[in-house]
Amino acid sequence: MTLLPWKRAARETAPQASVFEEFALPLLPALYNVAVWLSRNPSDAEDLVQETCLKALRGFSSFELGTNFKAWIFRILRNTYLTSRSGLAARRTVALEAELAEGEGLTVYPEAAIDRQTPEVNLLRLSDRAALQAAMEALAPPLLEVILLCDVEELKYKEIASVLDIPIGTVMSRIARARAALRASLQAATPQATTPLAAMLKAQPPREFRA
Amino acid sequence: MSQPPSHLSPALLTALADGELLSGFSADQLDAASQHLAACPACTSSALAEALLKSATAKAGQRYSPPPDLRERLAHLLAQESATTTLHTLPNQRPTRGFSLPVWAMAAALLLVALPAGLIERGTQRTAQRPAARTAALATEVIDQHIATLAANSPPQVVSTDRHTVKPWFQGKLPFSFNLPSDLPADITLDGANLTYLDNRPAAQLLYSIGKHRVSVFLRQGATPSGRSASTHFSAERSGFHVAGFTTPDLEAVAVSDVEPARLTDFTTRLELVQTPAANPPQ
Repeated sequence: MTLLPWKRAARETAPQASVFEEFALPLLPALYNVAVWLSRNPSDAEDLVQETCLKALRGFSSFELGTNFKAWIFRILRNTYLTSRSGLAARRTVALEAELAEGEGLTVYPEAAIDRQTPEVNLLRLSDRAALQAAMEALAPPLLEVILLCDVEELKYKEIASVLDIPIGTVMSRIARARAALRASLQAATPQATTPLAAMLKAQPPREFRA
Repeated sequence: MSQPPSHLSPALLTALADGELLSGFSADQLDAASQHLAACPACTSSALAEALLKSATAKAGQRYSPPPDLRERLAHLLAQESATTTLHTLPNQRPTRGFSLPVWAMAAALLLVALPAGLIERGTQRTAQRPAARTAALATEVIDQHIATLAANSPPQVVSTDRHTVKPWFQGKLPFSFNLPSDLPADITLDGANLTYLDNRPAAQLLYSIGKHRVSVFLRQGATPSGRSASTHFSAERSGFHVAGFTTPDLEAVAVSDVEPARLTDFTTRLELVQTPAANPPQ
């Protein structure tokens, strides 16, 4: 009999939980995919997704219906990753933010970084999924996450800016840098790339990342 | 005027591939770009390459699928979470996988401990309208909301240290009004407030800091507007949190924090004093 108030209270919170599930569970594959890319480890990724969903459920009352849930929960995923073991390790290993910040102010990208000739070999490499995945793995984490959110998750610049907590201009320049880096490593991975551009890109290999 | 035959900028090519031309480019720039694109094979080819890279990346990025049972485990976990939150378990005590039975057993055990704790009253005797179970349930809900507020990443709905900003924000949102104390000790600051619900009734959640301890004060309309003139007090301690509150004929107030009980009670006393019109002349 004394349990009655508790039971009633549990039922009252149930609708909110089921609304949350309707929002969150369809995004599970996307959250998991990005979590593995970031943490580079399936079991860390699973923990990351679980923790993200629990945090999101607890904070669900602060989510405003009608605003973008996907951007909201990816923001939680990203913040959870940054404070996770693998996230902290990644940040310790490479002082990326500082390194990136140097070039961030440059709105003009080196003209040579855009390959106006578009060698066929480059287009061919695009169909090589493994090569592209290797190129993505070689991206610095801030460039990788922007590519995942933009290309894979198809978030708008504005949403990416809110997920990463950076200005839209920075989102754009990071995407441009990330694509240039992808192109560079696709070409660097091609042995017969002998154009002057490829030679130049080889002289400046993309930043290595080790978690 | 002459149009310089400049190639499209990398930023524009990027935005073009992402369908984001409207963010950050003027109509003139877009005009010039489309004219240039029509005439320049190199840029057309670059734009195509950019689009191909984007779609190839999108495909290559879809790389990992969750294990088949993750969805089910997560759904179970979420259901459990919403149940355990109601059972006032602290976040770091929460099970991460399914422990359905022990949780309920623990809840029952806690209930036996918690019920008498909720009964400590310093004012007048209990009345039929305020049975023990209701006080205990209220304390639980208040602690849950406080923990949820601490866990949430987002700022309060109204962020201000000024009580003259916070109080008017509730106008039209709540069917009652309240006063906020002005002469607080230096280490007690107002952080903001949320509109929330307690036991299905609208309430104001005021967020204060006492030193580094966060305090939530919930104010809602009194359940018994008339009949009782004297106010009642109650306090409880649970899961490391202290709950203190008072009831006036018009208002119910509950404060929750992990600060030491004496400071919390001192704070609620100050809050109670300004609710009586005599002590707080209309401004």
